[in-house]
Amino acid sequence: MKILGLIIAILTGAFLIYAAVDFPDWADPTSPASTYLSPRFIEKTIEETSVPNIVTAVLADYRGFDTMFETAVIFSAAVACFFILRIFVHGEPGERLYRHVLTGVTIRVKEGKIPPSDDFERIDASWTPHDLIIKTICRLLVPFIQLFGLYVIAHGHHSPGGGFQGGVILGASIILLAISNDLRTAVKRMGEKLVGLLCALGVFIYAGTGALCLLLGLNFLDYAALASILHVDPITARSHGILIVEIGVGLAVMTAMIWIYNNVSSNGEYDEGL
Amino acid sequence: MDVVVVLFLFAGLFFFTGGAIGILRFPDFYSRLHPAGKLDTLGLLLSMIALALFNLHHFSLGTVLTSAKIIIIVVFVFLASPTATHAIVDAGVRAGLGPWTKGEQRR
Repeated sequence: MKILGLIIAILTGAFLIYAAVDFPDWADPTSPASTYLSPRFIEKTIEETSVPNIVTAVLADYRGFDTMFETAVIFSAAVACFFILRIFVHGEPGERLYRHVLTGVTIRVKEGKIPPSDDFERIDASWTPHDLIIKTICRLLVPFIQLFGLYVIAHGHHSPGGGFQGGVILGASIILLAISNDLRTAVKRMGEKLVGLLCALGVFIYAGTGALCLLLGLNFLDYAALASILHVDPITARSHGILIVEIGVGLAVMTAMIWIYNNVSSNGEYDEGL
Repeated sequence: MDVVVVLFLFAGLFFFTGGAIGILRFPDFYSRLHPAGKLDTLGLLLSMIALALFNLHHFSLGTVLTSAKIIIIVVFVFLASPTATHAIVDAGVRAGLGPWTKGEQRR
């Protein structure tokens, strides 16, 4: 079986190299991309989509189909991580550590758990000291990181940014919370069900926008069709359509990051993180 | 104006250089974190102030906003960098790494 896999890999690689021979040279001024494709985007983007950032326009509008499936790939990576790693543990939990908040005394509970109260907080098996500095600073920084993430998503039209980058920043803010406190704190704010639903919702927003354009009588992902719903002219509608799909991408990427981190850091048990 | 900008920039580069030399020459993990955490933060503060001043050559609302954003970056790094250093030292202590004492070999 291994040998078969090796043969298939070598054959595919050979085909790819064989196909790559026909490509134009690096920076060839006579290649199709340099003669009419790039100049057309550079000249026409602003009048066709009213988006100053050409990269965003190409990514989410002219080449929107490709980006939609990139989002789907990220979604399936998160789902694959969930299906491979997640363990639903049943039965009695093992030893657990609790800390008395006021005195800092740690107690070990074998089998079962102590009733929930404000006096005791659960801590991870890799015993962590009460670190006020890291917890406070991270709690202070997280809202600003999230604000910056939203800015990057919304400002993708005018500056480097967009759904993927902003989504990663938003996801990192929640992961920072999970690292600086513990996994349970982060999961309490972004539950497993919510993360999964939002991840699927992100892809749905993207594909749904495309389908809506189809319903309104134009091509799939041709945002000019949204003009009648948004009450703007078709060119502004293309700009707004890009923002809508960027929000979808941002949602999917953010929750995919959190989902993968939660599963990997807790070995799929969601009990104790790093 | 330009003189002030150049002075700030050179002061920043001076601290960055000091930090780089410190990381290379100090004997162990904890003492190497000292220049990495402190001098980089100060070097960044000085060079970013230089950039913010240089940006104000043409005084208008746009350039003031850009300068304010640069200063906000400095505030962010001022909070984040010492905290990160603190967390790394904490992790080192918890992992059982002892500090270097005089007469030992570099590590």
